[in-house]
This record gives sequence, C-alpha cells and structure tokens, in this order.
Amino acid sequence: MNFVLIFLITIFSLSLFFYGRSKTKSIAIEKNIKLNALPKFYGYYLVLWCSIPSLVFLLIWSLFEPVIIKSIIIETAANQGAIFNDKNEANLIYEKIKAIHLGTYFGDIDSILRESALAYAKFINLFTNSKVVLIFAIVIASVIYSLKKINKNNKARDDVEIILKGLLFVSSLIAILTTLGIIFSLLFESIKFFSVINIFDYLFGTNWSPQRAFVRDASSITAAEFEELKDAFGFIPLIAGTTFIAFIAMLVAVPIGLFSGIYMAEYASLKIRRISKPIIEILAGIPTVVYGFFAALTVGPFFRQIGENFGLTVSSESALAAGLIMGIMIIPYVSSLSDDVINSVPQSLRDGSYAIGATKSETIKKVVIPAALPGIIGSILLAVSRAIGETMIVVMAAGLAANLTINPLESTTTITTQIVMILVGDQEFDSPKTQSAFALGLTLFIATLILNYIAQRAVKKYREKYD
Amino acid sequence: MNNVKIKSKNLNVYYGEKQALFDVNLDLNEKEVTALIGPSGCGKSTFIRCINRMNDVIDICKVSGNIEIDGVEINDKNLDVVSLRERVGMVFQKPNPFPKSIYDNISYGPKIHGKGETKSELDEIVENSLKKAALWEEVKDRLDEPGTGLSGGQQQRLCIARAISVNPEVILMDEPCSALDPIATAKIEELIDELKKTYTIVIVTHSMAQAVRVSQKTGFFHLGKLIEVGKTEKIFKNPDNKMTQDYITGRFG
Repeated sequence: MNFVLIFLITIFSLSLFFYGRSKTKSIAIEKNIKLNALPKFYGYYLVLWCSIPSLVFLLIWSLFEPVIIKSIIIETAANQGAIFNDKNEANLIYEKIKAIHLGTYFGDIDSILRESALAYAKFINLFTNSKVVLIFAIVIASVIYSLKKINKNNKARDDVEIILKGLLFVSSLIAILTTLGIIFSLLFESIKFFSVINIFDYLFGTNWSPQRAFVRDASSITAAEFEELKDAFGFIPLIAGTTFIAFIAMLVAVPIGLFSGIYMAEYASLKIRRISKPIIEILAGIPTVVYGFFAALTVGPFFRQIGENFGLTVSSESALAAGLIMGIMIIPYVSSLSDDVINSVPQSLRDGSYAIGATKSETIKKVVIPAALPGIIGSILLAVSRAIGETMIVVMAAGLAANLTINPLESTTTITTQIVMILVGDQEFDSPKTQSAFALGLTLFIATLILNYIAQRAVKKYREKYD
Repeated sequence: MNNVKIKSKNLNVYYGEKQALFDVNLDLNEKEVTALIGPSGCGKSTFIRCINRMNDVIDICKVSGNIEIDGVEINDKNLDVVSLRERVGMVFQKPNPFPKSIYDNISYGPKIHGKGETKSELDEIVENSLKKAALWEEVKDRLDEPGTGLSGGQQQRLCIARAISVNPEVILMDEPCSALDPIATAKIEELIDELKKTYTIVIVTHSMAQAVRVSQKTGFFHLGKLIEVGKTEKIFKNPDNKMTQDYITGRFG
C-alpha cells in the first residue's frame, strides 16, 4: 500500500512540474508581466509542495500506526478475557493475533484469539483507509495552496531555495541526532551496568570473566551472587591487551609507514610514485576480515612452528601475530598521511638547506622531518586510534582469554574482542554480562575520541603554520 | 677593476624541452656587487642557480657550457656539490628560516660542515654571523626563540646570517627584498654594501633603483640571453643596446 501511495505521489508531482512550468509561461504571455523566477522554478515549487508534506505525513503515520494498533489490540484482548502477567506475555499474544490474521498461525485458536484477530483485521482496514483519505486530502490541499501562489506570480526561486535549505538542514540534523542517540544508548546501558558493578571495580579490576555473570535479572542479585560478580568485570586485562597489541602494531606500522612515506615524498620519481602509491593504498582497501584469517591461519601457526623449533611454547593465537598483521594493515594510513604532511613542507625550506650545502638525507632529517613533526605525530595518533578500535583481526587472531601478560607469544584479548564475544549468540538483555559490552563500548569510544581530538589538533596546528 | 671570480662560458640551460639560457658569457668580479636585471622569466634566477648548482635539485633541468670559480670548472659531475655550496651561499626571494630557534638556524650550516666543534666555537660563529648580518643587537637576548617568529626583514637578515655562517666566498641573492617593505629593504641594501668588502655578491633584482644603489656591475637579461653587461653607471646612463635602453626607461618589462 505504502509503495503504491509513494508511486502515485511521485507520478503526480512530476506531472505537476510540467504543468507549473507551462502554466506560468502562459500566464506571463497572457498578462504580459515579467515572472519573478524562471518557469522551471514554479515547476519545482509545485513538485516540492505536492510531495514533501504528503511523504512526511506518510512517514510519521507509518511510524506510529503499528504502535497504536498494538496497544488497542492488547487492550481488546484483555477485555475479551486474555490473561497476561507482564509485557513479554502481552507481546506474545499480540504476535499470535497478527499471525492468525496473516494465516501463518498453526496452534489452537480459542475464541479470545479469534475475536481479537477479527478486531485486528478491522483496525488495520480502518487505519489503511483513513491513511489513504488523509494523504489525498493533504495532497489536494497543498496543491491548491501552491497553485494559488504561482498564479499570483510568487517569488518561486526564493521559496524553492528556502525549502531546499530546509531539506539539507534536516539531513544533517538526522546525522547528528543518530550520533547522539548512539552515545546516549551507550551511556544509559553503561549506567545500568555501573549500578550493579562498582565503577572502580570495573576500572581497576584485574580479572575479566563475564561468563560468570549468568544472573538473569540485575535487580534480583543476591548478596552472595554479588560477591561472586564483583571481581568478574575487571577492565585492566582488556586495556592491557588492547594497548599491548596496538603497541606491537605501531612497532610495525610506524617505522615502515613513516619511512615509506619519506621515500614516496622525497626520493621516489614521479613514475615510481604513480605506480607504488596506489599499490600501498590497496593495502588500505583489503577487508580486515581477510587480514584476520591471514593472521589466524598463516601467521599464527607459522610463529608457533618457529617457536617450537626454538623450544618455545607459542600459542597459536598470539598477541604477536595479531599485532603484526594489524601493523601491516595500518602501514598505508601512516604512510599516506605522512607522505601528505611531508609534501606540504614548503620547497623553500629544502632549498635553504641545500643551498648551505646539506645533503638530501641531512635536509630530510634536520629540516623536513622537524617541520613536519606535528603532522606526523597526528597521523600516528590517528593510526593508534584505529589500532585500538580494530576488531576483526583480534577476534580471529588474538584469542579470547583475558590474560594479563606481557609475553607477546601468549594469547591475549582486547576490548573489541570481548564486546563481540559478549554479544554473539542468545542474550539476556538485563544481565550485567550483556550490559558490560556497553560499558566497554563507552570506554573505547571515549579513548578513541580523545586520541582523535589530540591528533586533529596536532595536524591542524601544523597546517596553520604553513598555509 | 677587481679580479674575475666567476666566469661563465657558453652557458646553456634547458628545462625539459624549453631552453632557458642561451650562450651566456658573463664575468663576475671579486668583492663587488653584480646586479642582474631583466623582465620576469628572462633567466636571471636560472643563471645564479647555476653558480651553486641549485638546478641539480630540479630533475628536468639540464646545464651545458662552463662556469668557473677561481678557474675551477664547477659543472663537472665529479665536483663535490656540498663543498661548492659551502663556498657559494644563497639567499632566496622569500625569507625561509627553518622552523628552529634563531641559534639553530645559524649553527645548522657550520654543524653540517664540521665547523665549530665545541659549544663556544659555535657560539662565536653564531654571534659573528649575526653581527655581520646586522641582526645581533635585535636578537641577542632571544636566540632560543623560533626564527619564524621574527619580522619579514629580520627573517631575511637571519637567512643572510645563515648563508655567511659557513664563511662563503660568494653570496647569491635572488630578489632578496621583493617580499620586504621599504625600511627593511634599505637595511638589507646597507648590509649588502657592507658585505661586499668580504664577499663576491650577485643579486637578482626587479628594482632598477636598487641595482643602481647597490651594484658596481649590471647585466641585462632578456628571453634567456645576456643582452648587455657593463659598469652599472654606464648601463643606466648610456647603454649600448636599444633594448637595454627601453627596459631601464620602463618602456617594456
């Protein structure tokens, strides 16, 4: 039904465009007046007036219709004598009624359900009909209004500009509100979590084993269970694992990325640049899951094999393997960012250095790199925030057990891995275990936010210096 | 007349397909200021960049012909560019101090060339260079502040101090005052007058008045060719060539 309506509105608006355009042309000739805008703007004006109010109405209606029908039906069912104790059971009955209406219910149908299903059919019908009528009314009203306006030779160009500005504003508003929504949902779930687990136990605990928290409902935790839970959510092993793996990744990515950036910016001829830059950037385009199985299936076992040859016990899921592959993944970020930064160091500085007899490498080491340093640091910080937010590689290659270790050959785990582990499979939404994922998410979000902020400040400060 | 310090013979320069200099024969005298004038794109800057081989930095640039300094050919591929540039310093159009402290800006050159092994030797070089560039009094209390924080004229004098810090024989100046205001320009011109007692100076300039004020010898370039060269007085009062006459009287350029 909705698609038919949208289709009709679209067709009608389009035809109004041509109508508005030719109509205003003829008005201009007939009355011999100068139009306030080009005829096509009157066409746009009609299109926008015809489509936007009706489509917005349709959207709002579709959002609220199911909610309203549901509450009406649940009430009807209750009046019929249906018994339910809480919200979940009410939802169950509603789903049953819906299924009966659609003919996909195969259980026993008692009289209560049958009556409710009939009522449901009635309401659906009523709502659909009134929706169609209202939409037609809106379309007709707005078309009449806009036709009147264009007959009076309104300033259609300005009006169209205003409406378009409004549309763009709404789009950006949606983007901002979505972000805020995500932040608040993180925040609220985290608050719930911290109402059960003390925030200091979380921040400074050294033991992470959320699987112990199988308690069904956070509000019904007994004192004994609480003692058990208290030290199950220690954040330290996770942040330690995360920073450790990120550190290994940076050990790989920073030197290689930086040096290749320097080579690209300072030494590579145009021809080499043209070939090798896209190749390096392809590295950035490889899906992280591909890196992940490369780490898990090739590099991890390879390290274990080598370790065995030297008589070492190497876990096949090791921090070293995950960090190494993550580092390779990050190389292109560091390399292309530092390439850009080095390239924007003015040539005059290099000339000044050459002119006094410095060689190329002296110039790079003592003039170019110091000049580009804030930008390079910024690019490294961006890479770090990418490393600690990276998920797929560590899920596949770093292991799940939260070991507090600094041995790179042992398996360790990260914040992102644990979030994945907690949320995979069936979940009790009320249990502290599930809620801990939100707390982890919030912590990670704040950490990357701070890193990105510092990085962008550094890069910006650098840009200002040379613009 | 002073001795000839730099001698160019049949110097041709190409940027890719385009020829920028055609058979330039020009002698530059020791401890004298030679001004090179001419309209934009005529090859003056290209010429002075040949004297310290700065054109090496540009990939597509090819140089043929000879340039001799004290009778030694410098276009030789085997010549050590580092020691050539130690002898031939350069000051650019736009002041380009390094993003380092004033002190480090000056000590950069001596350190590279292994001069001033001890801190006190370096201090002395820095002080002398700044004094020669007439900047010492203005900056002696803030040597550790960034060179980029100075005014435009001070920055340019800092760059001159940087050039003389390695004790060169020749200083090339590529429109050193074009980014400066008249007062800063006057200071630099005064400084050039002082410096010519010690150094051979080649200055590219767009300002005829400046050429008259600072130079003893002037060369006029047009479209990559050296049209006329001679004593500054003669060039500006009584040039042999019609084109030079037209240029200095402002009829083209």
